[in-house]
Amino acid sequence: MSVLGSMFKLTTFSFFVGVFIIFFTLVVLLYSLGSMRGQKNLPQYYFYIILTMLSALGVVLANDLLILLVFWGFLGVLLYLLISFGQKERTSQTAKKALMIVAGTDLLMILGIGLVWRLVGTLEMDKVHILLTSPTALVAYLCFVMAAFAKAGAMPFHTWIPDTAVDAPVSVAAFLPASLDKLLGIYFLARVTLDIFHMNHFTNTFLMAMGSLTIIFAVMMALVQHDLKKLLGYHAVSQVGYMVLGLGTGNPVGIAGGLFHMLNHAIYKSCLFLSAGVVEKKAGTTDLDKLGGLAQTMPVIFISFLIASLAISGVPPLNGFASKWMIYSGIIQTAKGSGHLWILWLMSAMFGSALTLASFMKLVHAVFLGQPFKEIPRTQTPVSMWFPVLLLASLCVVYGVFSKLPLKVFILPSLGQHVVFGGVWNSYAAFLLLLSGLFIGLVIFLLGKKNSKRLTAPFVGGEDLSQYPEMRISGTQFYRTIEDMVFLKKVYALAEQKVFDIYDVIKRIAHQSFKVLSRLHNGILPTYMAWCLLGMIVLFYVLIK
Amino acid sequence: MIYIFVCYGFLLSAMMGLIASWVDRKLTARIQYRVGPPFFQPWFDLIKLSGKELLIPTTALRQVFLTAPVFGLASVILASTILWLNDLHASQSFVGDLIVVVYLLMIPSICIMIGGFASGNPLAGLGSSREMKLILSYELPFILAVLVPVIKSGYSLRLNDILAFQMQHGVMITSLSGFLAFLVCVLCIQAKLGLVPFDMPEAETEIVGGPLIEYSGICLAIFKLMKYMLLFVLPFFVIILFWGGWRLTGVHLWLGLLKYIIFILLVVVIRNTNPRVRVDQAMRFFWGTLTGLSSIAVLLAWIGK
Repeated sequence: MSVLGSMFKLTTFSFFVGVFIIFFTLVVLLYSLGSMRGQKNLPQYYFYIILTMLSALGVVLANDLLILLVFWGFLGVLLYLLISFGQKERTSQTAKKALMIVAGTDLLMILGIGLVWRLVGTLEMDKVHILLTSPTALVAYLCFVMAAFAKAGAMPFHTWIPDTAVDAPVSVAAFLPASLDKLLGIYFLARVTLDIFHMNHFTNTFLMAMGSLTIIFAVMMALVQHDLKKLLGYHAVSQVGYMVLGLGTGNPVGIAGGLFHMLNHAIYKSCLFLSAGVVEKKAGTTDLDKLGGLAQTMPVIFISFLIASLAISGVPPLNGFASKWMIYSGIIQTAKGSGHLWILWLMSAMFGSALTLASFMKLVHAVFLGQPFKEIPRTQTPVSMWFPVLLLASLCVVYGVFSKLPLKVFILPSLGQHVVFGGVWNSYAAFLLLLSGLFIGLVIFLLGKKNSKRLTAPFVGGEDLSQYPEMRISGTQFYRTIEDMVFLKKVYALAEQKVFDIYDVIKRIAHQSFKVLSRLHNGILPTYMAWCLLGMIVLFYVLIK
Repeated sequence: MIYIFVCYGFLLSAMMGLIASWVDRKLTARIQYRVGPPFFQPWFDLIKLSGKELLIPTTALRQVFLTAPVFGLASVILASTILWLNDLHASQSFVGDLIVVVYLLMIPSICIMIGGFASGNPLAGLGSSREMKLILSYELPFILAVLVPVIKSGYSLRLNDILAFQMQHGVMITSLSGFLAFLVCVLCIQAKLGLVPFDMPEAETEIVGGPLIEYSGICLAIFKLMKYMLLFVLPFFVIILFWGGWRLTGVHLWLGLLKYIIFILLVVVIRNTNPRVRVDQAMRFFWGTLTGLSSIAVLLAWIGK
């Protein structure tokens, strides 16, 4: 029992993350009943999902770094297996890429564990407290951070997420990159940052810089995407930036904000992915050019999607705002200390929020409103598909309006520190006032409603829209003005060549170096013999010396 | 709270906005050698609109199309209430801080966009996309500029702290950084209000009102009312941040009114002396010149000027 006790430990933090791991698994299982119907190998699929949940629980309950590593490794393999259920052309490459990035950083984690062992001689997480004074400690910390970044999808290890979002089944995209991997990645980052190591000014600044970069870069990429799921995938990256930024502030309100954002993000992002799944199922595509006007046929999904997109854009009084607001307060508080760069972090966080809004306005228009691309038959969406979406959307509202509730029950206890809020945000009062405002608006509306209503054709200056298909505005070209700006154009061109994709860069370097090595394999036996002989000589020399 | 909500947040702000819009229209008319409307014209407009038939385009998503104006109005009333609460009771802080107000004041634009999208009209879609690009443009310098009072008041996000600081140390606008940031804010407000030279989302002469093209009757009236209220709430927000707010006692009542009138005059003059710019020009202007200017203001504030 004592052995088990040192291996696993239930803290309030792991309880909080564990509860939501189970919650999201249930939601995804329910959704899969509808979305995966008629697919091959379903028993395996459900088995993998359950196994993923168990491994994830293992990660959050583990108290020994090695145990954590083992479960972490399972998750990488399960991710690979689950992505492979997708039926797109590039699914197998994507699965390989995800596995390579996640497993490659597992290697770093092993290195980090080794260094921790060397530094303190124990791997029990509640007993390890390391000051970041020696270079070894710093390297160990950075190794852990890289592993957490790859899992959560922060830059520069983000590239598997947009690809996974497109090529994996949508339930998997909502399950792993959107919710579970965020929870785990940020959980691990928080444990490492708050418990195992004692942060200093440098590491805090490093985290905040990485967070800000991730926010801006990923959201700029999202802005120009033409595919619904890929766009959502880039947002799954950009939102990690906020969490990392929050943790990087190093003060309680920022950290609590980061953790709260992790929870909120999992809620609205899985809601968005799941609604994208319904759209895909109905329309047969996620190409934004070929969607439009779907709100007429799926009002429930549309309302949920709208709520979730407003939540991710940080519109009060929804949940995304509550956590972003805490992160902003955290950043401002660093200004009182020694942080001179706070204004950069704050700007990227707040401006990133506006850019997020922009890309979601594009989505709302291109997918649900605007003019339809083609008639889509009204078919019933199975309850198991729309109910999870609606549930998550209503959670966005509830956690926004009653933001004190999740904070009090889950987040502040897991932090265990006294949180001082810098500003004021009384979401409940604001919600009541908003309701009263809606009431005033409604009264005015009803005053005028007694007049007659009439349906008319839309006014386009007397043209006949059906004759001019090019008059349809799909929304994909909304931000051409931004794409065409001189500096950004170059960056986008570079991104197109995958210069920022660490997987691709390493792949290219590897291919180049393999080319040199492959010259040695010229198929001539004497050459091989010579190499063998040379090798043996070196070996003998080393061994005998 | 309810008293302030109804009397100040809604009625007073709406009244001030309606008067300001009359000032705007009258002055514009005089500049163009016209007579201009009578004092109660904005009121008449609203009453007339509310009595008109409500036209709904066949392509529209009806529920969203009809409710978007109501949500926009509600958010403006909420923002205005928060501002009044902090302005009237400078010793306490209520409901929300600076960031909350900045975000709340974005909702009206979101509602206009969504309303435009929901109408299913391509011109409305075009206008809404311009509106979004305009938001992106002004948001960057605007956030930087509103950070100046935050820095000066010792990194407080509370509006009442900023007001209290100005009561003790004089208003922000008298310092160099405050003045620069104020100028940036005025131009951003111009864009937030969608007035010339930044009225390309509506651009009556090319895309026939953009997102508002399909609106009529009571829905248009609510959107108009929302815009009138913004004509008061946005300047009021800037006055609170940079110009010591508006106390409703004695001489301060008239001083506050004077500040507001000066602000409105600025807006009207800018509006009448500039042509409409394209959205990419606006973007370059906001991301280039104004962001530079507000960065300088932030740096100056940081070194205490």
